[in-house]
Amino acid sequence: MYGYVRPVKGELKVSEFERFRGVYCGLCHELARRYGFAARFLVNYDFTFLAMLLAQPGPAVTCPRRCPAHPLKKTECLSGCDSLSMAADMTVILGWWKLADGGEDKSFPASWGYKAACGILKSAYKKAAGRQPVFAAATEQNLKALQALEKANCPSMDEAADKFALILRAAGTAIDGEKGRVLSELLYHLGRIIYILDAADDLAEDIKTDSYNSLRYRFRPTEEGKLSEEDQRTIRVSLQHSHNALAGAYALMGDNIYSSILSNTIYLGLPAATQAVFSGTWKTNGRIQRERSIS
Amino acid sequence: MNDPYSVLGVSPSASDDEVKKAYRDLARKYHPDNYHDNPLADLASEKMKEINEAYDAITKSREQGGSSGAGGYGYGYAYQSQARQQSTGSNAQYVQIRNLINANNLAQAEAMLNAIPTHDAEWYYLMGSVCWRKGWMDQAGQYFRTASTMEPGNVEYRNAVQYMNQGGQAYRPAGAGMGDMMGGDAACNLCQNLICADCCCEMFGGNLIPCIGCR
Repeated sequence: MYGYVRPVKGELKVSEFERFRGVYCGLCHELARRYGFAARFLVNYDFTFLAMLLAQPGPAVTCPRRCPAHPLKKTECLSGCDSLSMAADMTVILGWWKLADGGEDKSFPASWGYKAACGILKSAYKKAAGRQPVFAAATEQNLKALQALEKANCPSMDEAADKFALILRAAGTAIDGEKGRVLSELLYHLGRIIYILDAADDLAEDIKTDSYNSLRYRFRPTEEGKLSEEDQRTIRVSLQHSHNALAGAYALMGDNIYSSILSNTIYLGLPAATQAVFSGTWKTNGRIQRERSIS
Repeated sequence: MNDPYSVLGVSPSASDDEVKKAYRDLARKYHPDNYHDNPLADLASEKMKEINEAYDAITKSREQGGSSGAGGYGYGYAYQSQARQQSTGSNAQYVQIRNLINANNLAQAEAMLNAIPTHDAEWYYLMGSVCWRKGWMDQAGQYFRTASTMEPGNVEYRNAVQYMNQGGQAYRPAGAGMGDMMGGDAACNLCQNLICADCCCEMFGGNLIPCIGCR
């Protein structure tokens, strides 16, 4: 969805990279299997991370598969596992609401594109919401609350980020007991980090198009969307505390076969993405690397 | 109790040094400083207790069995409660709010704070604590700073501001790279954090650095 939550490829072993690709491609296949071809376009790194995080200990079942993006070579894809199905359901739910949100926010002709995509995925969304009613309700409720904050030009970075964080947190509440508690805390802070990074990355553009951005009202950016060093430090300290909370929760999760990839994503990937956003290179280098990192 | 070797993740044939290293790594992972005012601190504390017991059991059984034993290697990474200090001037309502925050009942604590019409330094500090626990780190920092500005001599408020500004600390596995979210060097920050945490510990009669360095 945003691409900030991904491992640093250069630090992965070849076997780890293949395992990671197996989950990403597996999620794409699972989306197609459960929700039809169009749902494939919603595949993203954030929910690939969730699928790995939710995976049970023990070996994974994979099978070689071809797809339209890689028609010549088969990829060993993760398949038939509950965490993958759950991640696919949640991908469709959040993806659909993001499209619906875009349909309302954007102006013509972009809004029509969003509305058309929403229409195509409507039946997939209904099916997914039936399978994950708690997550669907939390997504709808918090995105609406976020819209209301946007309309009121909410000056609190925490309050705006809280709504998005609560959506991800809801994915953790689907798990019972202690693990669910740990997962909820981890996902809350992951959501908070994603939201704030996205706000920092979009700041210049949002000021140009006069759109809402929580950092615009919380801090005093220039007209070009630049933040003072002190403001940047305030944001990064806040991100650091969320990262600490995330790492603290992650340490309490049991190991599975994706642990080394998850550790890479948390300890290297998130700081690297943050560095790229604040140095202004995310939009250029980051996006290119994102395209290249999987195919 | 679970098999102490599986708790520490080593085989029963592991050498004393290997057992000690596994214990140290886990103790570093679940160390209370990584769970500063954290809603999951209770779970980390349970883990710490479990590994302490496992290490103790292995050491004892090896001593009895005539093996060289881990030789006086203490297992006391004590888990200190992070309950808020009760400042002497606290009124009854603030005491109640502190208890609610410590019990993680944040909604009620926030409602009680919102019902108080006059806002003194302690009010701002407690509001900051509620925000912190909720994960609203930016506002927590703002409240802590206000509290400390209103009452510059208060150690509790000053410590909260200091902890906020230096970025806190978390467990990082060995070799997990150097970068952090603040664009700094994590190893460098760790030293800084240890020194800060040690100062805090000493203020309350404890000592952190020897408890890591000497064991």
